[in-house]
Amino acid sequence: MLATLLSATLVALDGRVIRVEVDVAPGLPGFTIVGLGDASIREARERVRGALRNSGFVHPPRRITVNLAPADVPKTGSAADLAIAMGILIGSEQFTARAGRVALIGEVSLGGEIRPVPGLLPMVAALARRGIRRVIVPVDGADEARLVDGLEVVPVARLTDAVDALRSRRRAAPTQPARVELAPVSGLPGRPAPALAPPLPPPDLADVRGQAEARRALEVALAGGHGLLMIGPPGTGKTMLARTIPTLLPPLSDADSLAATIVASVSGEGPIRGLVRTPPFRAPHHTSSYAAIVGGGPRLLPGEVTRADNGVLFLDELTEFSRDVLEALRQPLEDGRVAIVRAAGAVTLPARFQLVAATNPCPCGYAGEDSRCRCPEAVPERYVGRISGPLRDRIDVWVTLARMPAAALVGGQDPESSAVVGARVAAARARQLARPGAKLNARVSGRALRLIARLRPETSNGLAELADAERLSGRGTERLLRVARTVADLASSEAVEVEHLEEAARWRPPAARHASALAV
Amino acid sequence: MLGMGVGPNEIGGGSRTGALAGASGGQGRLRDEDREAIAVLLSVHGLGPLTIGRLVDRVGSPAAVLDLAGGPGGVAALVEGSTAADGAWRAMPPAVAKAIAAAAADRTRLLDQIARSGLRVVARGDADFPRRLIEIDLAPPALFVRGSLDALAGERVVAVVGTRRPSPAGRQIASRVATALSRAGATVVSGLAIGIDGAAHAACVTEGVPTVAFIGGGHERLFPPAHDRLADAIVAGGGAVVSEYAPLVEPTKGTFPQRNRLISGSADAVVVVEAGARSGALVTASWALEQGRECFLVPGSIDSPTAAGCNGFLRDWHGLAKIVSGIPQLLDDLGLAGVAALEGAPGSDPGARGSRGRSTVRLPSAKAVLSGRDPAMLAVAEALVHGAVIVDEIVAVTCLSVGAVLGALTRLEAVGLARPLHGRYEPIGSLAAADPKAA
Repeated sequence: MLATLLSATLVALDGRVIRVEVDVAPGLPGFTIVGLGDASIREARERVRGALRNSGFVHPPRRITVNLAPADVPKTGSAADLAIAMGILIGSEQFTARAGRVALIGEVSLGGEIRPVPGLLPMVAALARRGIRRVIVPVDGADEARLVDGLEVVPVARLTDAVDALRSRRRAAPTQPARVELAPVSGLPGRPAPALAPPLPPPDLADVRGQAEARRALEVALAGGHGLLMIGPPGTGKTMLARTIPTLLPPLSDADSLAATIVASVSGEGPIRGLVRTPPFRAPHHTSSYAAIVGGGPRLLPGEVTRADNGVLFLDELTEFSRDVLEALRQPLEDGRVAIVRAAGAVTLPARFQLVAATNPCPCGYAGEDSRCRCPEAVPERYVGRISGPLRDRIDVWVTLARMPAAALVGGQDPESSAVVGARVAAARARQLARPGAKLNARVSGRALRLIARLRPETSNGLAELADAERLSGRGTERLLRVARTVADLASSEAVEVEHLEEAARWRPPAARHASALAV
Repeated sequence: MLGMGVGPNEIGGGSRTGALAGASGGQGRLRDEDREAIAVLLSVHGLGPLTIGRLVDRVGSPAAVLDLAGGPGGVAALVEGSTAADGAWRAMPPAVAKAIAAAAADRTRLLDQIARSGLRVVARGDADFPRRLIEIDLAPPALFVRGSLDALAGERVVAVVGTRRPSPAGRQIASRVATALSRAGATVVSGLAIGIDGAAHAACVTEGVPTVAFIGGGHERLFPPAHDRLADAIVAGGGAVVSEYAPLVEPTKGTFPQRNRLISGSADAVVVVEAGARSGALVTASWALEQGRECFLVPGSIDSPTAAGCNGFLRDWHGLAKIVSGIPQLLDDLGLAGVAALEGAPGSDPGARGSRGRSTVRLPSAKAVLSGRDPAMLAVAEALVHGAVIVDEIVAVTCLSVGAVLGALTRLEAVGLARPLHGRYEPIGSLAAADPKAA
């Protein structure tokens, strides 16, 4: 007998509805799955066989053929396990399902438990778009599935629960989406982070002593969404400062948090209990592969650039990343998305991240430390010069850190806390988003920037003088104005004033500086 | 560090080269063809002042040496000519003799090269050849000069040298020493290296007085390349960039210590500001003692790696090397104390000086340098001359906001009074010479 059920699969970040047709026919016992399934789908045979037997059902000794339609969409993952198992039970007439459009998503274990799958949220959303009103999901994914409005979510823990759910016509009251905070969980891509070892909470900015200049640079960069590069010897606090970023950024807007939640769901970042409200902060190691950063692989998993969408991508030891990886950042930095092209077609993933990077000043790391640097004279300049042009152009804020004298570390007043600085960042961002276009300064076009800068004639002259004195190129001048607009936003100023330009001038790349000064 | 092997102790027998001066000086002014011939000979790889001196001694004049080399059997004649009549000197290798012959054939191109590089050849016997250099052992037969050597004929010439990796404080001291010397009427010479040398030259350029840089390679191979702008500024300011090497000679580990003898030799005294334990500046200090010049070293903490060289030298040459206990004291020791204060040194008060002939040269205060600028700039500038180097320290001293300090630093940088270096800020230009103790 033929049974037809609905399920879903993932294509990159999108869910696709699939029809699972199970034919249980007389003949030699066998189990075939057709319909462009990958290895994990072929392995569904073994999981389903065990699950049926260990749940008190019979794995029928007949010819079982499973077709996943439409046949031209490649299917990946274990989300269709549950539908296949139910199809076999219905097809071998071990129970009768009530009529009605129901979809099933979930992986089965050999013991018959239903396990969560990555990407549940976009899959459920795709089902809802197709007008399906009832979906059976793993109990651990219930909160995630309920984020989609207008759909009855039936959580099941075991295969037998799913059978009950298909038999009954009882309707659970549609629940309101649970909108609670969820901290992004870091872990290996594609692997849920172990639940027993929660990641360390980010440090508070008050824990970072000294480095007034770098703290201010970080504040300006976060306020305007500008790319930030911190250059400094080991132990000066570059990484520590970067790790405070999650405590400084305002929560995501509704649209952005839905996008972030989808990415978190597809990336398998542990159980999702609500919309992701905290902007993602991704810190891949410098040995990360091209596919890990850009995304792809056989299952088209999102890479770090996509997982940092609407958040911050922190590249520690920037110059140590492979050249291919750094070159690959060009497109996402320019367009805010990344295209992964395959023989079978191209997918485009969102990648609107803010770049924050850190590097040593020279190969040995100690340039500027009295006689501790062992590099030949010209090497420190060349080291930072390794950062290629397109990347340099996308970094608006450059800051160099020096080792703090001990006196400055122990004395002085307590530094500002994340709450204080975060409030200023949030206010400055709100000012920018309230302007026509609703873009952060880093993403405003050059023409719009001139308009929103509201330069008075005197300030215009000041900008020209500063650009002349520093021999800034057109691009350099625009960068200066862009950062100055953010400094002005932090100061709640309508117009960009000379003082804002002067502060912004501190954040230009060091190369421009060397050319302008009589080096001694 | 640069090779320490080539010090004054290892080069002997140089006194014989006096013959060159005798050969040309005897006939009054140096003939043009001799000057050109010396320039060609200096372009030969492997031929130094010693051998040139011997050749000229035996053959008669530099031009005659070239003629001999260009003629038939020239190579053999040259090898023969490089030995003394009594056979006391070792003959030069035939390869060098062949190179001389090749250079003689190629003389037009070599001279063109020198002219194209905008260089003058100043040979011994020329009026503007530095008189102090004539006296030294192994004096160069000629110098390749960009600019004017007039400053070296002055009453007092002082070399200011030091490490290429100075501390911010050391750089400031170099600036202050050079400025004070300039204001007292002395000419500052140094080696155009980055670090202390560069700071000393830059201070003179800022003061608008000539300074002379001796470089350790050919002019076309200026090292470090980062200093080509400084070199231009030195020449434009009436000073000179000088090399004893032909324009295309690459600077090597060996050329810098050799060049150091010219720095000390052209000066009356050498001041070493900061030097690590194996710094090339100590080579200059050794040359100074060898050449009978005064030698001053700025001492430092026994823990500071940038002071190890100076402190060690003071210990090793106790009694010969002198200590710099302060800039007025240095001027006093150099006999510059009696020189009247130059104009534009505000804060100088003749009545306040001690009775024992203290220097009248006063370095300006930060306030004087910043006169007419806004208060935030002045506050930040004063913090800088008092030794604050990072923004946290400036903020702590000035009580300004971080943004205001950063803005003031931009304005100071724009007018050439401060610059960032490896995350720190340091005074440059006339602010580098400001006296922290001046009110």
